Amino acid sequence: MNSFAYIKPRTKEEALSVLHELGARAKIAAGCTNVLPDIKAKKLADCVLVDISSLAELKGIKVTGETITLGSLVTISELLESEAVASDAAVLWQAAKVFADPLTRNRATIGGNLANASPAGDGIVPLMALGAIVTVENVNGKREIPLEDLFTGPGQNALKPDELITAVSFARATNTKSNFIKFGLRKSMAISLVSIAVVMETNGDKLDRIRIALGALAPTPVRAKKTEELLAGKQIGPEVLEQASELIKTEVEPITDVRASREYRLHLTGVLLKRAIETALA
Amino acid sequence: MEIMNEVKVTINVNGQQVTATVAPEESLLDFLRNRAGATEVKCGCNKGDCGTCTVVLDGQTVKSCLVLAAQADNKQVLTVKGLEKEQLMQDLQVSFANHGAVQCGFCTPGMLVTAKTFLEKNPQPSRQEIREALSGNLCRCTGYQKIVDAVAAVAAGKNDK
Repeated sequence: MNSFAYIKPRTKEEALSVLHELGARAKIAAGCTNVLPDIKAKKLADCVLVDISSLAELKGIKVTGETITLGSLVTISELLESEAVASDAAVLWQAAKVFADPLTRNRATIGGNLANASPAGDGIVPLMALGAIVTVENVNGKREIPLEDLFTGPGQNALKPDELITAVSFARATNTKSNFIKFGLRKSMAISLVSIAVVMETNGDKLDRIRIALGALAPTPVRAKKTEELLAGKQIGPEVLEQASELIKTEVEPITDVRASREYRLHLTGVLLKRAIETALA
Repeated sequence: MEIMNEVKVTINVNGQQVTATVAPEESLLDFLRNRAGATEVKCGCNKGDCGTCTVVLDGQTVKSCLVLAAQADNKQVLTVKGLEKEQLMQDLQVSFANHGAVQCGFCTPGMLVTAKTFLEKNPQPSRQEIREALSGNLCRCTGYQKIVDAVAAVAAGKNDK
């Protein structure tokens, strides 16, 4: 007997009621860039594939006042083609440019990248540096979760089985300087050894405020808040950067795996922080 | 809307309507090869890494192993065979042959589809842009240099060696 079933809701409301009925038996299928490999690898079985890929309510990039809202079905290619993202969320645009490969980017959705909850998620890290808020809905209504509270472990998120990510939004980062660095073993289709996103508000040569998000350095993507505090209000020079690049190593908990050792990842963290800030300021 | 244990889909493959009843988890790649007879679409890694199964789905270049057949219902798929009616694809095929960009040939169908849709969007790319565009298509004969040469020659309008 086949262990998979399929259902294609026509509206968001239908999708939410399907998720309500099925609970943990449901597996949301959108871009399928994770779902199909997981099926082939037998990591996924005995579930109902809930195909949300044609739900118009979850598509499109909207700019309202000072807020940019991405529908959860926005693909990584759509981020790259969006002028609003390129100009007002440059850190996200830079990450989209090195996300997987051009063909995968045509299918992979931003909502899927968040839901998949990889510690190395290349869509998550820049959104975290932008202070993004995730909108999650079920039949009873919606709630908003700060992105940094969405993850509970590698591949684990705080969503209930009947909840669907419908959007992610953040304030336009118009007058900021930012940079995203993905450090992988090759330039394309790599899983990041370490990734870093910085978004800074500057005043002359003084740094007013900085948000730093890191990928592949802990069980979930994380903010480096102590390092952010250290840097806030400072004039950026070699000394303070050196201090920051030491401090940031105390805020992460990398593992040794097939791609790199813990020690190498710690070393990279300090190097990439300096490089990201210097590049953003240059 | 109902929960289905099998899904009836109709996909337009290179201009032909193909209807079949598929398993929910069946990929577009399996549909193309096993139900539509489109064996020019190759199956390499079957998990989105190699790109030899690349096709154009409703105008978008995708890896067909990463699409559910059910998601392509009522959509149009063009494989390398469907695209070779177009001059640009023919130019690329000749250029690949002239430049020795085909060694074992297994990656070629995907390479050609990606190269063709890329050149339509960006007719005058730099070598770096070509490399980036092809970065989701792997060649295990390490023939990238010649593949980039072949695409660059078509972009430059120089198809002879």
